[in-house]
Amino acid sequence: MKKGGKLISDFYELKVEQLMDKRVWDLPLIEEKEDMDHVLSILGGRNHIWVVKDKENKELVGVITEHDVLSILAPKHFPSYVFGIPDVRSIQHGTAKTAGDVMAQKVITCRPDEKIIDALMKMVKYKLRRLPVIKDKTIIGELTLHQLIRKYYGATQYHPILEDEEG
Amino acid sequence: MISTEIFNILLLVAATLIFARVLGFLFFKIKQPAVIGEIVAGIFLGGIIVVVFSGQKFDLFSFMITLPNLSFHTPEFELLAEVGILFLLFISGLEISISKLKKTGKSSTYVAVGGVIMPLILGFLSGILFGFSIHESIIIGLILTATSVGVTVRTLMDLNVLDTDVGSTILGGAVIDDVIGIILFAFLLSVGSIMDAVWIGIRIAIFFLIFLYLGLKFIDKILDIGEKIHLPKAFLSISLSILLIYSYFADNAGISGIIGAFIAGILIGQNVRAKKIKDDVKTIGYGFFIPIFFVWIGSSLWEGAEADLSSYTSILAFAIIIIIVSIIGKLIGCGIGSKFSGMSNKESLQVGIGMVPRMELALIISAAAISRGIITGQVAHTILLTTILLTIVTTLITPFLIKATFKNN
Repeated sequence: MKKGGKLISDFYELKVEQLMDKRVWDLPLIEEKEDMDHVLSILGGRNHIWVVKDKENKELVGVITEHDVLSILAPKHFPSYVFGIPDVRSIQHGTAKTAGDVMAQKVITCRPDEKIIDALMKMVKYKLRRLPVIKDKTIIGELTLHQLIRKYYGATQYHPILEDEEG
Repeated sequence: MISTEIFNILLLVAATLIFARVLGFLFFKIKQPAVIGEIVAGIFLGGIIVVVFSGQKFDLFSFMITLPNLSFHTPEFELLAEVGILFLLFISGLEISISKLKKTGKSSTYVAVGGVIMPLILGFLSGILFGFSIHESIIIGLILTATSVGVTVRTLMDLNVLDTDVGSTILGGAVIDDVIGIILFAFLLSVGSIMDAVWIGIRIAIFFLIFLYLGLKFIDKILDIGEKIHLPKAFLSISLSILLIYSYFADNAGISGIIGAFIAGILIGQNVRAKKIKDDVKTIGYGFFIPIFFVWIGSSLWEGAEADLSSYTSILAFAIIIIIVSIIGKLIGCGIGSKFSGMSNKESLQVGIGMVPRMELALIISAAAISRGIITGQVAHTILLTTILLTIVTTLITPFLIKATFKNN
């Protein structure tokens, strides 16, 4: 138990850049202006997409999750009690056309020099499973709960946390 | 010691919520906006209370039964209804995205501006014609300005034409005319002379500048504090405090508290955490304060019910004129606006009709004008009744009108 305590506190102190997925070429990226078909095709294989202004400099402007698509894929249930301007984005009505239409604009991000404990706390607070790692507005990697679980489990099995998968 | 009076009011609140939801649901079932059901609930409940619950006693098998004395027009109940108004505007503000507002096209702006000016002028003139004072006539004009686009959107969706120029113009136009309507209301509410107008204009500008601009800068920091307070729903508490503080300062600046609520909504709506806050605010607003407001509005139909029947016929005549004017105003105003932006005659007509429904802002403006004492007595009664009829009639007929104009598409 004591050993576990030491291990987890070491784990917390690591930096995001030490555990993040740095393979930017493999990240699910899409440009803001690309159409819905492209969004759906990527989501067929991944469960989220980072939306960038253009793929050249990868400035992050939004994120699309399966849940965002659910609300435009399902028939629009228009609440009978609504004030202000209702959300009318829907595939059925042709009001969701591009990645930019569907994405959530305010993305919770983390920095490469942040501690893992802070990233974990963000995941808890905002109920997220993944965070984009941002440097100068540009996406340089992602940190997923899935990876963190694997790395931590690996460490409990006497593999050093960092060397796992490093090469 | 809590007095019996308070429990009488709480009993009325319970009855209000039950009636609101039951009638709201019935209206929803017959495919009409639930809000109208809630107003009708107010009319019913108000009537029941006038007839039954005004403190009568009667004998039942030699038991003396005293019915509680209930009234919608106690300061406590009115407080709840007025908080409902603040919540309505707060939620409207929360739903406005500044980035989307910037993207709304020229056509929406023309449509909104035309659709505000025409009804305002026509409403004002009808007021004068019916012998109301200048101030009262301005209020009548203002009531006709803001569109409530919910029922239009639903109809356009049913017809599968939301994704047309007409659809997007209406959506954009409705956002802008809400904003213009609210600012105009704040402005005209307090204008007495030209000097006043300048001074109030400056105050509104300052208020928007300071509270919106600075707010946008600091809101993150303020909400961060909420993050550090590890107590349940700390964000919500902070957001509600911002709502109330903004309303206070807006009211103190003499530009009506509802502007403050609206700006607070816009401000918090831009934040990362807005989605969570929105859900919580809607829980409280839709679940409690807002239905109370609509039922309260409906119940005011009975206020001054002692007045003789002939006064009702003259109110009805006025209401019919106002309803006609409200429809023509939007048709001409929005029609000219959309024509101006290059739409065809038919499209312009469709946009005009889509902008006809009035609901929450119309009711809020007349309620606020009454509670600020701008319109009083019989005039207040007439204008409020007219507004209630206006909202119900415009909301009910719009779907038919829209369907008629899209028939040959």
